[in-house]
Amino acid sequence: MKELVEYIAKSIVNDPNAVSVEEETNEEGITLKLRVADDDKGRIIGKQGQIAQAMRTLLRVKAAKAQTRVRLEIM
Amino acid sequence: MEIPEKHQSVFQKAREVLEKLLALMELPATVEISEEFTVIGPDEELSSIGLNILGEDLGILIGRRGQTMLSLQHVVRLIMSHQSEFKLPIVIDVEGYKERRCQGLRTLAKKLADQVKARRVPFTMEPMPAFERRVIHLALADHPDVLTESTGEGDARKIVITPKRPAVIDLSPLLCYSLPEKGNDGEE
Repeated sequence: MKELVEYIAKSIVNDPNAVSVEEETNEEGITLKLRVADDDKGRIIGKQGQIAQAMRTLLRVKAAKAQTRVRLEIM
Repeated sequence: MEIPEKHQSVFQKAREVLEKLLALMELPATVEISEEFTVIGPDEELSSIGLNILGEDLGILIGRRGQTMLSLQHVVRLIMSHQSEFKLPIVIDVEGYKERRCQGLRTLAKKLADQVKARRVPFTMEPMPAFERRVIHLALADHPDVLTESTGEGDARKIVITPKRPAVIDLSPLLCYSLPEKGNDGEE
């Protein structure tokens, strides 16, 4: 899960080195915590949250295949 | 379809980005050029890149009303524009789903236009995503007898097909009722 978010995030921000993703698994599924440079936050979220939404949709495809749930939090 | 030499690198780049995403999603799939959605002008000018994903069980990648496919398209466009100054549309199709849907929509548009023309009353279509509305607008752009417009917001946005000449309401039956004559409303 983590690698998918990491690849997308690093490919669209101005400061790829500041991108980090933390992955936690509990009984509810997987939680991904995405951190980027402050200046890149808008780029990751997108207008009306479009980009964050698109990333969540793609994560859901992967989660469905693995029969789990995934949450993406932008910190 | 022959991609001109000067555009091959941008196609290659778009393809790599898409293949990388599919690999990270652990979906075994291959990517081919979509002839339907690749637009190259007579002077080799490129105005749209179309890529079609092929593989087994890709329904999951299309999603409800093609939403998942659109998310994938959105991400590929973002990565391409961020990494290569590439500003043209990239259209991602899955197993030719979008291509078939577009052809179906064009046929439907023509049929509905004929109906609207004959009945001379507007017709409102079901809500559709932006991409599909565009197909209808384009299909009927040059139609001599009808106009198209979109109404509503967000997911509920839909197309209304309107006749250019609306039905004429015949008022002649009303003329047998004579209007009250002037001057009669004074004192008795």
